[in-house]
Amino acid sequence: MRRTGLSALALACTAVLAGAMPAFADGASRTPSPVPSSARPTERPAPSTAPSTVPSTGDRRASAEPTRAPSRGQVSVVPSGAPNTGVADTSSGSGGALIGGGTAAAVVVGGAVLLVRRRRAHGA
Amino acid sequence: MRPLAGRVLAATALAALLVGCGGGGGNSAGHLASTPSSSAPPPSSAPPPAKSVAAVGRSVPVGLRIPAIGVDTPVLRLGLAADGTAQVPPVQAHDRAGWYRHSPTPGQKGPSVILGHVTVGAYGDGVFRHLKDLRRGERIEVRLENGTDALFAVTDVRTVAKADFPTKEVYGDVGRPELRLITCGGARTGDGYRDNVIVFAALTSARR
Repeated sequence: MRRTGLSALALACTAVLAGAMPAFADGASRTPSPVPSSARPTERPAPSTAPSTVPSTGDRRASAEPTRAPSRGQVSVVPSGAPNTGVADTSSGSGGALIGGGTAAAVVVGGAVLLVRRRRAHGA
Repeated sequence: MRPLAGRVLAATALAALLVGCGGGGGNSAGHLASTPSSSAPPPSSAPPPAKSVAAVGRSVPVGLRIPAIGVDTPVLRLGLAADGTAQVPPVQAHDRAGWYRHSPTPGQKGPSVILGHVTVGAYGDGVFRHLKDLRRGERIEVRLENGTDALFAVTDVRTVAKADFPTKEVYGDVGRPELRLITCGGARTGDGYRDNVIVFAALTSARR
């Protein structure tokens, strides 16, 4: 009986560990989203929808523009450093969740079968 | 029977743990890391851009097409961010590219700079997700507000560490109308990327 309890505890721990799903970063395991193409190749954006203002939605980097002395070069104001043109997805991918969930479920089912067998063996 | 069942359970649990731990390695970060840190694409069969092409009159870009990688996007106007770096498009679904408005308009003499995201967080791929796949000679079309299409051909694709960003090569003066497309690439670092992917292109022609 004590052995059964210990087995149950070990099973529970294993299930919890397996349930801590891997952090799939992005890309490979996820269905790629379509390339944005709000305008068809033959369409030209209407003048009223042409982006003519500096975007300010949702990104603090796009909010304020510092005053910089203009240069005499072809680029009148040269930015400093490298642009941050990529925000990685830090949440777990759906593929990772699926695999992690599947393995956890397999462990739980296997453990349950084992416990039932042991109880029957003890009872016999 | 009992020891056998215990072994089976232990093996199952171990396999589950191994699957869970190993999953993180097969992501796109690994794929990006395989990109050479400074790559020169193999020469393509496409003809190199003409050496002297008449510049196009000033007109702001409103659209960008890159047939080789399936890009067709409106173009925003961008300025400087608060930290002095080039502003980037907002992180949102249906990501768009943005023209750095302190650079020449595409087709004018000088380096016109257009930026776009490689990924936009939870929204997935950015508009420049496949920029690194461009090859020398491939076509880039910029739609201008005055109805002209400025046509460019890729001259170089480079992946450079952000710490060594080639400011002079990107923003420095040049003797002809050129284009720079910039996004991120390389290995992931936190919620960003280690490198920048920069496409250099030169004007080949213009059409109305």
